[in-house]
Amino acid sequence: MKYAYFPGCKIPHHLPEYGSSVEAVCAAVGVELVKPEFNCCGYPMRHENELASIFSAVRNFAIAEQAGLEIMTPCKCCFGNLKYAASRIAEDKHLAGKVAELLAQDGLAMPKEFNIFHLLTILDEQVGADFLRERTATPLAGVKVACHYGCHALRPGNITGFDDPLAPTLFERIIQALGAETVEWDLRLECCGYPLRGRDDIISAALMRKKLEDAGNAGADVVATACTYCQLQFDQERDLLPFNAPLRKEPPAVLVTQLIGFALGLDEEAVGLHKNRIPWTAPVL
Amino acid sequence: MTFFDLGLVLASVICVAGLVWRVSKWCGRPVRNSAPFSPLKGMQAFVVDVLLLARTGRQSPLRWIGHTLIFVGFMGLLLFHALDDQITSNFFFGYESTLDPWQFLRNLFGLMVLVGLGIMTYRRVANKKLRELTRFQDWFAFLLVGGIILSGFFLEATKIMSPRVFDRMVYEYLVVEDGSDLTALKAVWADKYGVVFTERLPMNEETLARGMELDEESCMDCHSNTSSSFVSRTMATALTPIGPALNRSQATEVFWYLHLLLCFVGLAALPFGKFLHPLTTPANLIVRQGRRDGEGETPSVRKGLGLDACTRCGECSLHCSVAPAFSVMGNSDILPSEKLISFKKYQQGELFGDALTAFADGSRTCTECLRCTDICSAGINLQELWMEAKQAAQVQRVDMNMAVRQLTPKGRIQTFECSDCKPDIYGLADNKESYQGCVQCTTCTSVCPVVAVCEDASADLDLMPQQIMNLLRMGMKEEAMGARMVWSCTTCYKCQEHCPQNIRVADVLYELRNTAAVRMRKGNQ
Repeated sequence: MKYAYFPGCKIPHHLPEYGSSVEAVCAAVGVELVKPEFNCCGYPMRHENELASIFSAVRNFAIAEQAGLEIMTPCKCCFGNLKYAASRIAEDKHLAGKVAELLAQDGLAMPKEFNIFHLLTILDEQVGADFLRERTATPLAGVKVACHYGCHALRPGNITGFDDPLAPTLFERIIQALGAETVEWDLRLECCGYPLRGRDDIISAALMRKKLEDAGNAGADVVATACTYCQLQFDQERDLLPFNAPLRKEPPAVLVTQLIGFALGLDEEAVGLHKNRIPWTAPVL
Repeated sequence: MTFFDLGLVLASVICVAGLVWRVSKWCGRPVRNSAPFSPLKGMQAFVVDVLLLARTGRQSPLRWIGHTLIFVGFMGLLLFHALDDQITSNFFFGYESTLDPWQFLRNLFGLMVLVGLGIMTYRRVANKKLRELTRFQDWFAFLLVGGIILSGFFLEATKIMSPRVFDRMVYEYLVVEDGSDLTALKAVWADKYGVVFTERLPMNEETLARGMELDEESCMDCHSNTSSSFVSRTMATALTPIGPALNRSQATEVFWYLHLLLCFVGLAALPFGKFLHPLTTPANLIVRQGRRDGEGETPSVRKGLGLDACTRCGECSLHCSVAPAFSVMGNSDILPSEKLISFKKYQQGELFGDALTAFADGSRTCTECLRCTDICSAGINLQELWMEAKQAAQVQRVDMNMAVRQLTPKGRIQTFECSDCKPDIYGLADNKESYQGCVQCTTCTSVCPVVAVCEDASADLDLMPQQIMNLLRMGMKEEAMGARMVWSCTTCYKCQEHCPQNIRVADVLYELRNTAAVRMRKGNQ
């Protein structure tokens, strides 16, 4: 298994522990990652200029096609926007022409295939829950995990094709393979609120609060994330709250690759649990 | 006062005054908690990043070759040729500029610089994007350095050819016993060393043998064969047909003045623009101690140093993650190398009007991906600058989202009235068919997490999603565009996913924001 690794813009500076843990987990489960020089997925600029957003996204497919690889990203917003762009190119000939012109300026051709997978899909379909179960050195027995799906991979379901948009099960399958218990919670498919950061901070914070409280009420020990932005919201943005804010007591957010890395007994530095601002103290097992 | 003294004094005064002016701009507030400086790591950075240009090599091998050639060649010429009175003659016994290895090395160093400049020029011409980023001062720097080297080569070539220079040397260093000796020496210098005499000289063995004797006695102590100055001698040979004309027009004098003049211009230009980078870039690389991250807060003196360390190589902009946005939107302040120039102007309070808006917009487009900081061969902590620029942008020019919220209902209609202004991609929100199926069932509103989280949704959001769909269906786009619901949409796509009539609610809201962006920009002009 070999994929063009698309980390997205936020990982190198803002969330390096996601990058290092993704690479460690992929190496451990036999997924080879190649690193072509991609550009922004286009998601952040979609509010302002959709053409720039779609061109950015398609340019990445063109780069992956040059490398002869399919794209794998650990970020759901990157995943969602690349999927969206691919669907728009398929349905709008006029737009496809415009984008092809822009690509030609950079010496690139309109890609024939638009293949992108989220990390979770690779882990579920290519690696498989059974493989993870076998390789688990430290089962997360007794840890109650609330799986946070993240919007942009899930919806619109007809475009992303990630899982059943109304009743997904993929994330839970992976977490259960590690020996952890997954909890049922009402808001598991809701938004983390990060897309509103800097645009409407009050609502953004309210969405986060509601969600984390719900996970806490459902008895979760941790909220598992599989998206750069969701983790930034639940960890770093939450950490900006006053030191005595009750929300700090709600379940900490842990990246899916940190949970897998911990269970598989991978290098602690790469897994980077100590870098999380709202710490999760893994139980002594 | 001679031309040399006058030129040197003038150039030095400009240089020193310019340096004081440039460095004085670095000062500002001191910052606590900056990264401590380790001399060991500083030394390491000096060797690896400065002397070996490792950061340049990592990014582009071709540029590394070009820059290394220029660096080694130029430093060789500066230390052993320009400063020969101060350095070479003090450290090397019996130094004469016309003796080997110095004569040979001068040509070698000069040729290295020229080849290096050729590579650098090729790099800037061959890459279309880089060509567009290249400014006057980049070409000027090439021309000036190239001019210094070429005028030096021409000076040496015309000197080799010049009988006038030969006569002067003979007058100063040779006691001639009879006229035939002088002829014999001339014959040797014409034959072996390339002087172009106007008179015909006897080239028989006897004369040449006598000439060789005289050459050994009087010349060879200070003169290696001019053939070791392989570039100048080749040029002299090529120029032989026009040799007499060059000699008559005193080309040696002309090139001497030209060479010195260009050197003085170079010295005077040192404090300005990228000409300072031979000083600031190494200093910045040492201060950064090999770091490639954006961590830590940099004290303002170092930040000033960093801002002045840019060599305008353009690599950051060639690899920028959001460069595709520049291709579409055309705001050059999206690209790091250009934004850096605006940032400097902004810091010095010289950025106004549209330029300030462009800087703010460009700063906001940055996704803080760290790539430019990672690859910057001058080691500038760009990441920190961009994060600062983003904050400044929000103070100077609020983003669209905030701007819409600040508008009164009346102001909205005015701002959005340009009904012909269309975004690059449109046709969803304008198209009544998009909403044909809408039965106003309010599913979109009931699943919306933003609506759910508001205590009083109609007061906080102005309109609910299904109301927006209804307004658009009636063609009341301007009324819908300003609603806070449009701007506080968290893009979770629940509305679209759950809509029983398959209406692309979230996509419509995106298009409304796109449209508003175009219209507001038009309105502000």
